[in-house]
Amino acid sequence: MKPLIFSHALSVAAFSLLFTACKKNDPPIPVEEELITTLKLDVTATGFSKSFIYKVENGFGGSDSGTVVIDTIALTPNTTYNVAVQVLNEKENPVEDITAEILEENEEHLFLYNANPATGAGAITFSNGSKDDKGAPFNQTINFTTGAAGSGSLTVYLMHLPSDKSGTTPAAAGGSTDLEAVFPVKLQ
Amino acid sequence: MIRILISVLFLGLLATINSTAQHRCVNPTRITLVETHDFSPVYPAVVYVEALNKAFETDESGSMVLDSLCDGSYIIRIQGTGYEEKQTTISLKGRKPVKVKVDYELHALHEVTVKEEQKNSLIQSKDNLGKNALDDNQGKTLAGMLENINGVTTLSNGATIAKPVIHGLHSNRILMLNHGIRQEDQQWGAEHAPNIDPYTADNITVLKGAAGVRYGTDAIGGVVLVEPKPMPAQTGWGGELNLAGFSNNRMGVGSFMLEHAFKKNPALSLRVQGSLKKGGNYRIPGHWVANTGLQESNYSATAAYQKLHYGTEIFYSNFNTSLGIYKGSHTGNQNDLLNAINSPVPLVQSDFSYDLERPKQHIVHHLLKAKIYADSRWGRWDIIYGYQHNFRQEYDVIRQENGKAQLNLTLQTHTLNINLDHKKLFGLSGQTGIDVISQDNRFQNGDRVFIPTYQSRGIAGYLVERYHLKNLMLEAGLRYDYKGYGVYNPQGNNQQIVYYEFNYGNASGTLGLKQQVNAHWDWNLTLANAWRAPQANELFSAGLHHGAARIELGNKDLQPENAYSVSFDNRYAVGDKLYTSVSLYSQLINNYIYLIPGEDLLTIRGYFKTFHFRQTNAWLNGADLTVRYDWNNYLTSTVKASVLRARDRKANDWLILMPADRVSFNTRFSKNLSEKWKNMFAEVTGRYVFRQTRIPGNFDEIDYPRPPRDYFLLDAALGIQQMVGKQPVNISLAATNLFNIRYRDYLDVFRYFLDQPGTNMALRIAIPFEFH
Repeated sequence: MKPLIFSHALSVAAFSLLFTACKKNDPPIPVEEELITTLKLDVTATGFSKSFIYKVENGFGGSDSGTVVIDTIALTPNTTYNVAVQVLNEKENPVEDITAEILEENEEHLFLYNANPATGAGAITFSNGSKDDKGAPFNQTINFTTGAAGSGSLTVYLMHLPSDKSGTTPAAAGGSTDLEAVFPVKLQ
Repeated sequence: MIRILISVLFLGLLATINSTAQHRCVNPTRITLVETHDFSPVYPAVVYVEALNKAFETDESGSMVLDSLCDGSYIIRIQGTGYEEKQTTISLKGRKPVKVKVDYELHALHEVTVKEEQKNSLIQSKDNLGKNALDDNQGKTLAGMLENINGVTTLSNGATIAKPVIHGLHSNRILMLNHGIRQEDQQWGAEHAPNIDPYTADNITVLKGAAGVRYGTDAIGGVVLVEPKPMPAQTGWGGELNLAGFSNNRMGVGSFMLEHAFKKNPALSLRVQGSLKKGGNYRIPGHWVANTGLQESNYSATAAYQKLHYGTEIFYSNFNTSLGIYKGSHTGNQNDLLNAINSPVPLVQSDFSYDLERPKQHIVHHLLKAKIYADSRWGRWDIIYGYQHNFRQEYDVIRQENGKAQLNLTLQTHTLNINLDHKKLFGLSGQTGIDVISQDNRFQNGDRVFIPTYQSRGIAGYLVERYHLKNLMLEAGLRYDYKGYGVYNPQGNNQQIVYYEFNYGNASGTLGLKQQVNAHWDWNLTLANAWRAPQANELFSAGLHHGAARIELGNKDLQPENAYSVSFDNRYAVGDKLYTSVSLYSQLINNYIYLIPGEDLLTIRGYFKTFHFRQTNAWLNGADLTVRYDWNNYLTSTVKASVLRARDRKANDWLILMPADRVSFNTRFSKNLSEKWKNMFAEVTGRYVFRQTRIPGNFDEIDYPRPPRDYFLLDAALGIQQMVGKQPVNISLAATNLFNIRYRDYLDVFRYFLDQPGTNMALRIAIPFEFH
């Protein structure tokens, strides 16, 4: 009951203030909170180190996309790579690294990878994904093993509050999709 | 003091009369009694003439003829139900007619107000929920209560957020008048319910169809009038205690009202009122719905000083609500939405809880109203000023809890209405006045994009006149509105503020005809129009709708909507057992604003559907039918049916999101059992809602899945009034969806994810009291 009375008292106070403090100020500027603009895959192997970027300048919820940058993931066939994911907000200056925040809340997040085709020429398979603090899948770092030469696509998802962390597709894992990046893949 | 003076005067006069009453003369003189306030004839009334020791009755014109008195002064005493008893002297000279003014009785005053309101409201298709109906439905949302009215349906977000739909139109196309002030509480979307506490109402009237002339812009689909109980006229204490408990979401509701009119100064009265509501997650057949609790606390106070010919009233109300929103309804992208739609069970499972988590809303609405009225030689003046402050906070699902709301919208509105109910002039009665409105809407720095900051102002003048021709009433009205906006729109990649200005002007009119043919039959015909300026969200919205996983894009070139409606109501009783009411309507809305799908937009969450605001000409035709049969004094059956056909005239196609046809059946038994047990009732209601099959040809591009299938629900209720001494206690028990049927409704936004609520039992207690 107490907080209720308190909130009422507060609202009445705010209300009476209005009559005195009603001066016009500058129009406010909206900010999309927790905006993600960029997904970066840092791919390394012996003698190989490269970053692939997927960027939609305005993130989501705007009236247009802004500048869109989608790198082609060009890798060597039949090779295993170490992959680490970075999530950034490049609207901020300096650029905001959201990866640290996601690592901190690893139990509430899940990275998912889907390759098309799933096997054969142009395919990528996934192994050794990192675990969260409770030992459930988290996949912020993972291994990619490329298939035979060919082309395909790779989709990376970031799921928030998944209901089943053992799921390997967004439908199976549940939760809401914070990020969905579709990269073209070229193995040659 | 005055009374003493008057009686002294009388004593003096009595002496003179006694001296003049000796001679008999034949001088027929017409005496006419009129009410001081509205000049209506005083009838029936008895006039006692002391000198003759004889009583006369007035006729329908308030007149009587005295034919056996000579010139001179005489004392008369006037008595009539509803009128102040009056003793006065009249002077007779020749055959000159005499006019005597009589006042309405003070405690009959509220009746007068009611009469006056009936006089003031337009000839229009209308329906209302009186005190008993409100008591039977207490604890429900305002829209949930209004659903009892034929032709009114609801647009909802699950069980807790609902807004009324009148003849297929809602939100910005409906005007709500709360205590006489147009409610301005940010009704942008389906998830924004009206911020009104139904416990402050004593009567809720729904005007169906365009009613722009008297009520102003936005009254396209209709008007909802939320009217309070008149302030007490009888001295002493009065009040009411209401309690209700609901089984489905374990919700408790309580309200208390106390009022007092002072003995020493009966013109002065006070009222305080408050209500509390707390509910947890609600239950659909087989599942709890995560995070759908609510808390509401409201209070209001009224002070009134009411004399016969002038008075003033101050009203303040505070509405405070926190609402949880089903977690599964905030989807990340189109695939999430599709997964939610295709899942046979709710994707987010939950137990029962009263806790509110993100996503949630918190809203505080203040209303301050000041009213002055006074009679003058021109008629009655009313000046009503209203100030509203609406603060809406929306808490989105975020990664890191920071305690902040992602949307903090403040809408402030000032309204002023000056109205004159003029006295009869050439047989015309009517009203004229002006309306002024000024608004300021802003969000806070750092909010997500939703509605830009804007200021708006409007001014309007109107005139409505009525003419009685025997049992026929004719009515005509005219209004002109001006409305202007200044919008500070953040746009582009860097959200630069760009200023836009919009100005709109529009004339509207109404023509009404009403005939009381005889005691069994009356009809009315109304031709009316109304308009509304495009709202800020339609002009400028540029954002994601979490619930529908789509991006809505505003259109700065939108023109005002203009609605023309014709409606015909016929009420006819066959004998004294069968009662019928038919209401037919046709409404043309030019520049009807609606959404059409556009290109997909790439976001960091994948591709989203975009929707653009476009305009077409809409044509809505429908009928509401009520048939009641009284089997005997105790048993009554009612059938109600409501149909609507809504067309897009430009595309020659059906309009999207229109309520499906529906039929309901009710049988009610009511009886006074004894002096102690009164008003016993038992009723059963069946509701059948058809599947909406009249959907646009491109429906699958816009919406998925198709409208849900038809459903039939059974409700039941039982109630009684027990007299505990002289104190009545009303108790009722009601059940909705008695058989826990699984169903979904087309106008429920949660139809994508969830079934409608299962069985809900409600226990309601109402204790009205008074001490004099």
